[in-house]
Amino acid sequence: MAMYTLRLSRSPPSPDSLLREAEGAGRRNLGGDGAAGLLHAGKTWAKIMASLADSFLADLDELSDNEAYPEEDNAEAGGADEDSDDDMPDLESLNYDDLDSVSKLQKTQRYNDIMQKVEGALEKSTDLSNQGFILEEDPELKFPELESLVHHPIDYARVVKKIGNEVDLTLVDLEGLLPSAVIMVVSVTASTTSGKPLSEENLLKTIEACDRALNLDAAKKKVLDFVEGRMGYIAPNLSAIVGSAVAAKLMGIAGGLGALAKMPACNVQLLGAKRKNLAGFSTATSQFRVGYLEHTEIFQSTPPALRTRACRLIAAKSTLAARIDSIRGDPTGKAGRNLLEEIRKKIEKWQEPPPPKLPKPLPVPDSEPKKKRGGRRLRKMKERYAVTDMMKLANRMQFGIPEESSLGDGLGEGYGMLGQAGSGKLRVSAAQNKLAAKVAKKFKEKSYGSSGATSGLTSSLAFTPVQGIELSNPQAHGNHLGSGTQSTYFSETGTFSKIKRT
Amino acid sequence: MFVCRPLQGSENPFIPEEDGAARRGEGEMGSVVLPTLRRKREVDAAIRDTLDMVLVLRFGRAADAACLQLDDILAKSSWDISKFATIALVDMDSEEIQVYVDYFDITLVPATIFFFNAHHMKMDSGTPDHTKWIGSFSSKQDFIDVVEAVFRGGMKGKLIVSCPLPPERIPRFQLLFKDV
Repeated sequence: MAMYTLRLSRSPPSPDSLLREAEGAGRRNLGGDGAAGLLHAGKTWAKIMASLADSFLADLDELSDNEAYPEEDNAEAGGADEDSDDDMPDLESLNYDDLDSVSKLQKTQRYNDIMQKVEGALEKSTDLSNQGFILEEDPELKFPELESLVHHPIDYARVVKKIGNEVDLTLVDLEGLLPSAVIMVVSVTASTTSGKPLSEENLLKTIEACDRALNLDAAKKKVLDFVEGRMGYIAPNLSAIVGSAVAAKLMGIAGGLGALAKMPACNVQLLGAKRKNLAGFSTATSQFRVGYLEHTEIFQSTPPALRTRACRLIAAKSTLAARIDSIRGDPTGKAGRNLLEEIRKKIEKWQEPPPPKLPKPLPVPDSEPKKKRGGRRLRKMKERYAVTDMMKLANRMQFGIPEESSLGDGLGEGYGMLGQAGSGKLRVSAAQNKLAAKVAKKFKEKSYGSSGATSGLTSSLAFTPVQGIELSNPQAHGNHLGSGTQSTYFSETGTFSKIKRT
Repeated sequence: MFVCRPLQGSENPFIPEEDGAARRGEGEMGSVVLPTLRRKREVDAAIRDTLDMVLVLRFGRAADAACLQLDDILAKSSWDISKFATIALVDMDSEEIQVYVDYFDITLVPATIFFFNAHHMKMDSGTPDHTKWIGSFSSKQDFIDVVEAVFRGGMKGKLIVSCPLPPERIPRFQLLFKDV
């Protein structure tokens, strides 16, 4: 155990030696007592990160001036260590106590500082984007558009390294680094770029930065492979559902098992989803958003029609499994296997054919009352068939007065009370229906204000020779046939009169 | 102790046990068997106990060709109209049934007679005989239309209804009076 303290006080060794040591440790301890070996390997892994970050930081100071280096939160890289820490209580308490003292040591300032700056090592994309940030300053002078064309920082680093200081991009072979469409776009943009070739010193710095980024990437790959190998001990339930490779990737990109467990399932579904399409690729065929979960075996085995639902289900269950794993609730992985079984059963159930439909007997005639419609439209339609006042007049006759008929002498259609004296009107005009009256009123209100160009002597009454002037007496109720409530015998306006006897 | 209530259409006692499937609402059309009545009391029970549903009685012989076609159409549509009609076959050759044969004056085979709430429903289809339907139907839908017309008239309280079919789909026959 003292070894650990010794390691800390020494200056950080070179990254390659540490890597080799970690691999050796991993290989040696794979067979042995898992937890201790894990702890050992975990610690060396942390040291790798520490050393890499340290050297990276040192060069960072040399390379460029602005360090808008975002300070990320702490939990993730500590997570890997915490996992190994949590393993320890499973062993004898003796070790635990010793480790406790060591841990206390590890809580020293220096370690904390390192860890704080190292957590970025687990956030691969941000770390490399930082590298890219540094990188982009230098090649920016030469080829500014490249940054927006190639998004992935590792690819960007590789391309920058390959291009070097070339002016003519046709001499540079980018095959295998980028998809061919992007290569085409890059070469076209390069021909019209506004950048100038870099100076010798800048070029060297750029190439160094690229190398560093690529090294980090390689280290990351090694770490991920290692984690994948140990995934069965770190997160048995999660790897039971999605498989160890995908589980390792998920943990890597989330920044540790704890962070993965804290994420909601919808985020887990999108971990590792590719960014937007570049260079005019059509988004008409863009698939739904799936991340690393796309590579799980259970996802690949579902029919394409059910993939969206399956993805949501897998994300939900794998989040549950990650949460179980983060608290070490089920070290055997049985819960994970149960969840996997559940997922499989659900997917199979979705694929069942629907139950056959029974033919229904016909409904009893007239048992369901017809749905009556109402409203303005129906009223307008009914007006076409309504009985008008003219028809009503023609249907009635006055007592004792023979009606006129169309062919005369009682032949043809009878006219009834139409046009007879005493009906109160000179001629029967087609009564305006209510709707038309309303519409006319609205229309008049709207067009009331004329522009003012008309003279004051004009009026809105217009006389046609057919109409003549027909001033209707508003008090004459003579032709009110619509409502039956008005009395036809008793006058509504007249009063009893007194006749003076002379 | 005993509660009296009117029997529903599905509880007709004239159903022999083996033909219960016809009444119990089978889903498949093909295996529906219509009940055959051979006793007078069965026919009486059928007429008396079918409430608010049209009772279709086919008088005929099982072996006759036209009867077979009519029986086929009746069987196919029995599930569809099961909510407002019941169908039964009456064997004309049984001796107890001769009473009915004489009463309804059935001479041509097959003859279909409609009842609604124990009333004999007549239908004016342009033929000389309104009391029964002679012959088969040209399609299942025609039969369902006829039964629906009988049902509507019956629910309104009419005892004679007019036939909704156009004259070309009504089988014509000639009534002979005393073989003249």
